[in-house]
Amino acid sequence: MLLNFDKLGMWKWVLTGFSVLVALFLLVPILFIVALSFGSSQWLIFPPPGWTLRWYQELLADPRWLESALTSAKIAIIVTLCSVILGLLASFGLTRGRFAGRETLRALFLTPMIMPVVVLAVALYAFFLKIGLNGTLLGFVIAHLILALPFSIISIGNALDSFDRSIEDAAILCGAHPLEAKLRVTLPGIRHGLFAAAIFSFLVSWDEVVVAIFMASPTLQTLPVKIWATLRQDLTPVIAAASTLLVVFTVVLMIVAALLRKGFKS
Amino acid sequence: MTVPFLQIRGIRKEYGAVTAVDDVTLNVEKGEFLTFLGPSGSGKSTTLYILAGFENPTSGDILLEGKTLLQTPSHKRNIGMVFQRYTLFPHLSVGENIAFPLRVRRLPKAEIDEKVRRMLKLVRLEGYEDRMPAKMSGGQQQRVALARALAYDPPVLLMDEPLSALDKKLREEIQYEIRRIHQETSVTILYVTHDQEEALRLSDRIAVFSRGVIDQTGTGPELYANPATRFVAQFIGDSDFLKGVVAATSGGLADIHLGDETVVTGVPVHGKATAGGNAAVMLRPERINLSRTAGTDRAGIAATVNDITFLGNNTHVATVTSANEALSVRLPFGDTAINGLTTGEKVWITWDPATTHAFCD
Repeated sequence: MLLNFDKLGMWKWVLTGFSVLVALFLLVPILFIVALSFGSSQWLIFPPPGWTLRWYQELLADPRWLESALTSAKIAIIVTLCSVILGLLASFGLTRGRFAGRETLRALFLTPMIMPVVVLAVALYAFFLKIGLNGTLLGFVIAHLILALPFSIISIGNALDSFDRSIEDAAILCGAHPLEAKLRVTLPGIRHGLFAAAIFSFLVSWDEVVVAIFMASPTLQTLPVKIWATLRQDLTPVIAAASTLLVVFTVVLMIVAALLRKGFKS
Repeated sequence: MTVPFLQIRGIRKEYGAVTAVDDVTLNVEKGEFLTFLGPSGSGKSTTLYILAGFENPTSGDILLEGKTLLQTPSHKRNIGMVFQRYTLFPHLSVGENIAFPLRVRRLPKAEIDEKVRRMLKLVRLEGYEDRMPAKMSGGQQQRVALARALAYDPPVLLMDEPLSALDKKLREEIQYEIRRIHQETSVTILYVTHDQEEALRLSDRIAVFSRGVIDQTGTGPELYANPATRFVAQFIGDSDFLKGVVAATSGGLADIHLGDETVVTGVPVHGKATAGGNAAVMLRPERINLSRTAGTDRAGIAATVNDITFLGNNTHVATVTSANEALSVRLPFGDTAINGLTTGEKVWITWDPATTHAFCD
């Protein structure tokens, strides 16, 4: 290693202090929200004058919150499935294919990552208005799939790049049909990439708000849209409670991902 | 006449304007250990990949027991292969790796278990069934790969530089393992390597590849004693070449005029030898003699000692001829010619013309 942490002397403490500050900078707003969700003040006052679970009660008592959470989950799961399957097929083509314009195609697949989301949202809105997809589940899935696919292609493409083609060739010579070799040897060999693609795709869809606002209808809302709409109507601590649950869910998902990845490695 | 076991007939492989394999023809006998030896880019690996079915030849045919293989896709060829890189399936244990080709063939479980056990015994890795590939050394992984490739009793086993990633000591150890396994299973092996020592140690016969063609096929001693081309002479064993001009030829022998008025007579000659044409005379360092006085009974040339290196069982003497060509002499330990030899000394190098070869362009 270029820098040995143990040999840094007093710089070690400077570096530690700096890292703690960066971590706080990232974490404090989240902790702030969590604290507010348990605060007794209706006006989101910090520090909270008292503690209560009232906002969680209100949140769970209102079926619209649960409904929007289920909508979010449904869309995110469909997007995840489609994104992993399409990402896998695209990665095979981009990694193994030998054709003119391959790099251009790769760049094209990744453009949704660098394009401003609001531009994409307006464009999709205008287009879906014409073909009647606004406010439908299909419209949501297509819009989120466009955003999720680049993450999927990057994760799976990297895994496929580092997977030695000879291993698949060995399986074929062992008597496996090329498709069987891919299913039984290559896919398990790149499963960490598939898994990363699934997690990223799920999260992209799960907490996406800009495109979702354009796609949503009064009857079809995702959780982030519901939070946004409630935020505009009345500034109630229920939002803090909903956000906290969202954060907890995401953290749990990341922990599960980390544990599974550890399992893959051993 | 019986049909040869494996026939490679006029195989050509072109990539655009580049010809990787140029009209390779070869017969392999059943149970033979044949090595494709050559530098990288000589077409040996491409030929092997055509046999495996991963590449299609531009023209030519491959016949196994008289039937063409080219129409059969790779997964139905029933050929075994060990690759240069480690190709064990990373998510399967050693036992499952060896069982893979048998499971694909839908054999009954009891038969698979029995076969896996026998294969592990063959490669001396009993007790490793449940080990994951990542927890094994490179040598062990290649042995498992060998067991996996032999598990379905393939008629032909292809090996593409399987030991090139291993260090020298381990390589030699596994070379003997491969030889033993070849003797025990009597499988036909086609082995690719660029390492002449490995080729000599393992093979029954060696096909020397150079620029897409086979220069010569033969046993190690044949190639060493009677190289057909200058390339083979250079690639197998050490050799030096002296420039000369053909003075006269008759019946495969030539008289060759070397730089300094010396004419060596009766040298076996290869290629188009015409009087007045250029020739290169090959001399093996251990088959030539060094003396301090000129003799007349043998062919010889004057040289100056440049360097003397003691190497244990032999001593290497680097000399330079009057035509400024490097010529190495290897003298066995105890050769009296070395006593008192100093650099810069004029010496006389002699040899038996019948043991050397001349190559014409």
